[in-house]
Amino acid sequence: MDQITRAHVELREMDALAAEDSPVHRLHPLCKLLVTVFYIAAVVSFPKYDFSALAVMVLYPVLLFQAAGIPVGLCFYRLRIVLPLVCAVGLVNPFLDHTPLLRLGGLTVTGGWVSMVTLMMKGVFSLMASFLLIATTPMDSICAALRKLHVPGILVTLLLLTYRYIGVLMEQVAVMTDAYRLRAPGQKGLHISAWGSFLGQLLLRSMDRAEELYGSMQLRGFRGEYHYARLDGLKWKDWVFGAVCLGLFAAARWVNIPALLGSLFVR
Amino acid sequence: MHMADALLAPAVAATMYAASAVTVGASVRTLKKDEATEKLPTMAVTSALVFAGQMINYTIPGTGSSGHLCGGMLLTALLGPQAGFLSMTVILAIQALFFADGGLLALGANCWNMAFYGCFVGYYLLWRPIMTGKLFGRLGMRTKIILASVLGCVITLQLGAFSVVLETSASGITELPFGAFVGVMQPIHLAIGLVEGLITSAVLVFVYEARPELLMDVSAQAGRGRCSLKTTLVILAVVVAIVGGGLSLFASSNPDGLEWSMFGNSEAGYSENMGLDEEDYGVSSGAAEVAGSIQEKTAFLPDYGFAGSDSVVGTSVSGLLGSAIVAAVVAVICMGGGFFRRKKAGAKA
Amino acid sequence: MIEFRNVSFSYDRQQPVVEGLSFSIRKGESVGLIGANGAGKSTIMKLLLGLLSGDGQILVDGLELNKKNLAAVRQKIGFVLQDSDNQMFMPTVYEDMCFGPLNYGLSREETDARVDAVLKSLGIEKLKHCYNHKISGGEKRMAAIATILAMEPEAILMDEPSTALDPVNRRTVINTIRRLPQTKLIASHDLDMILDTCQRVILLSRGKIVADGPVEEILYNRELLEGNRMELPFCLQGRRENYR
Repeated sequence: MDQITRAHVELREMDALAAEDSPVHRLHPLCKLLVTVFYIAAVVSFPKYDFSALAVMVLYPVLLFQAAGIPVGLCFYRLRIVLPLVCAVGLVNPFLDHTPLLRLGGLTVTGGWVSMVTLMMKGVFSLMASFLLIATTPMDSICAALRKLHVPGILVTLLLLTYRYIGVLMEQVAVMTDAYRLRAPGQKGLHISAWGSFLGQLLLRSMDRAEELYGSMQLRGFRGEYHYARLDGLKWKDWVFGAVCLGLFAAARWVNIPALLGSLFVR
Repeated sequence: MHMADALLAPAVAATMYAASAVTVGASVRTLKKDEATEKLPTMAVTSALVFAGQMINYTIPGTGSSGHLCGGMLLTALLGPQAGFLSMTVILAIQALFFADGGLLALGANCWNMAFYGCFVGYYLLWRPIMTGKLFGRLGMRTKIILASVLGCVITLQLGAFSVVLETSASGITELPFGAFVGVMQPIHLAIGLVEGLITSAVLVFVYEARPELLMDVSAQAGRGRCSLKTTLVILAVVVAIVGGGLSLFASSNPDGLEWSMFGNSEAGYSENMGLDEEDYGVSSGAAEVAGSIQEKTAFLPDYGFAGSDSVVGTSVSGLLGSAIVAAVVAVICMGGGFFRRKKAGAKA
Repeated sequence: MIEFRNVSFSYDRQQPVVEGLSFSIRKGESVGLIGANGAGKSTIMKLLLGLLSGDGQILVDGLELNKKNLAAVRQKIGFVLQDSDNQMFMPTVYEDMCFGPLNYGLSREETDARVDAVLKSLGIEKLKHCYNHKISGGEKRMAAIATILAMEPEAILMDEPSTALDPVNRRTVINTIRRLPQTKLIASHDLDMILDTCQRVILLSRGKIVADGPVEEILYNRELLEGNRMELPFCLQGRRENYR
């Protein structure tokens, strides 16, 4: 399976996950969105040597993954995109930062190593949190929540429409690349002679498609404002969930909980 | 080029969010007069196309490597800067949400680095002047399109890459000195920009020949190019080499003069502004207190300058042990969850 | 020519799209592949072309389909897509027809000769220098077939070759298909077209082969067809009021 088909399958997988039902799925999308943003902000705000204090933050995604019944493996498959970048930036740290931080027997761990580990943990944790959000919240609910946050309607409608057409366009690109590869043995990608026309053809047709789409939207009375999924107000359990999460994040951010735990055993 | 959440400090992320949000607001306002509704389907389909088009591998003859499409320039040439910026924002949001390319917190920064430069700078500084300017009047349309897209991609990518370096450095994430970081990023993105520019120009030239009315600022009556593709490419290569070389030279030598610590210290300033900007962005009502707490939280930025201080060394052994305990708890939760689910599934069956 | 040995495939390792498929197609045979939407017709074609890889063995002209033989196998099989637009991404019909042969290492002169011969045999010489985005649907379908014929494949796969065409164009395409000497595998819901072009039919349901035999045995069997979300070809149904 090529990259595009793979991406398409991934997209459909997320749709299927978001359509399931669990206590996490039933939380208000606005509540989940804000908690997620707050979580990521809290995670990345940890000082660069504070890996132990950061460690406790893993509990939020892990607990919710379990409560939502979402396989963690799917999420880790996605790390392949994030980790290389974070690693590339983090990997230079051990070479540049030689501050001794910790002695384990005869081994001295320098600040560079610790900050690299912390950075990777941040990358993994924030990915897990946003994966959790998108795997438990359908796209239209997220859009409705964004609208509640006063994100301009045109942007939100554009997001929904684009999301709709990404599937269609990816399918077409996949079919076209298949057709290309069948007649171009041994080529890894598009040859220079087809650079313009390949995507250009698709673009021209997409423009026609857009025109048709506009026509059909007009015929059905589209006046610029899309009608989003109806959102109920926040219920008490959403408030409780939000308050508890934010409280715990704040606590974890100010108090090094793992160190406290550890100090019960080490004196 | 997509920044991950982990590479940004919250204050920097918020600043970039604010900057991008203002641009979104301005774009929406400008577009309203401009019959945004009419453009909407075209924007959606084009951004979906760019999204899919970025997954195609374009092989670069003679190198065995491959390049990708540059979204910003293509969108700005087809839709104009405002609509292009909104489309690009949407693409980046979907990439961040569904494909873990970039991140939720880094979205603001990514919008700025790729969409703002690609669309606004690309359009007002390059596309429009080259398409309509008298200076380029004698060039053929094809030449102009190639010139604008290659220069546009190279320059906007250089700006974007420089912003990535600035943002990462300001976040205090990497130990890499500013100058060295710039020295790595700029030349890499020069090469990427060149290839992206060529791909973008190939697509745009094709569109021009089939349906010129789809492109911004292009008059269909304008004469066909008298300049051949080859000459154009040669001119371009020379221009790009001069500009790019100069930029990279400047970039790698000059920033040593900039005090590295300056970026570290500017964080406090960022965080003070941030609260206000967040209000402008329109996070209100139910969200206000949450925004408030974010603000409160980031106002006391972690002090990155305490390397080797006693407290860190002192707590690290117990910290390690504590982390191990957390890991054990995680394992128990996972196993417990799996057990519970199996039981439930068994009960159902 | 083509042989499937116990082939299975699934996208997500849970629900198989096709399961335990075994069949073989002799050289020169025309086989119709029918079945409801989602029965696995397209999947079979993609598997055969190596666009998807599943479990089991696929042989093409004695060659086993694997990474090493992929280019050789693809040279033997041409694939006419359902949407001709997706197939023709080059600007003009001529350039599109050259695309495949040039990629397989033919010289410009040989390619030109081939292109002209194919255009002539299909009677569409006038399309040669037309732009792909300007020709009509019927012309596009013929041009798409031409791009594949220009590669001189030994077998041709077609996905819904007769859809979205007016009756005259549809008839032209059917006649063209009938005249092609190659081994053919045609996936379609247009059973009348299958009846006209194929000697043998494979009926699929939910990824499995339900029936495999001569056209007369399967396409005349109302019970079998209706049990698998199909119906008799229209030409066999007679007038509505006489038939029930």
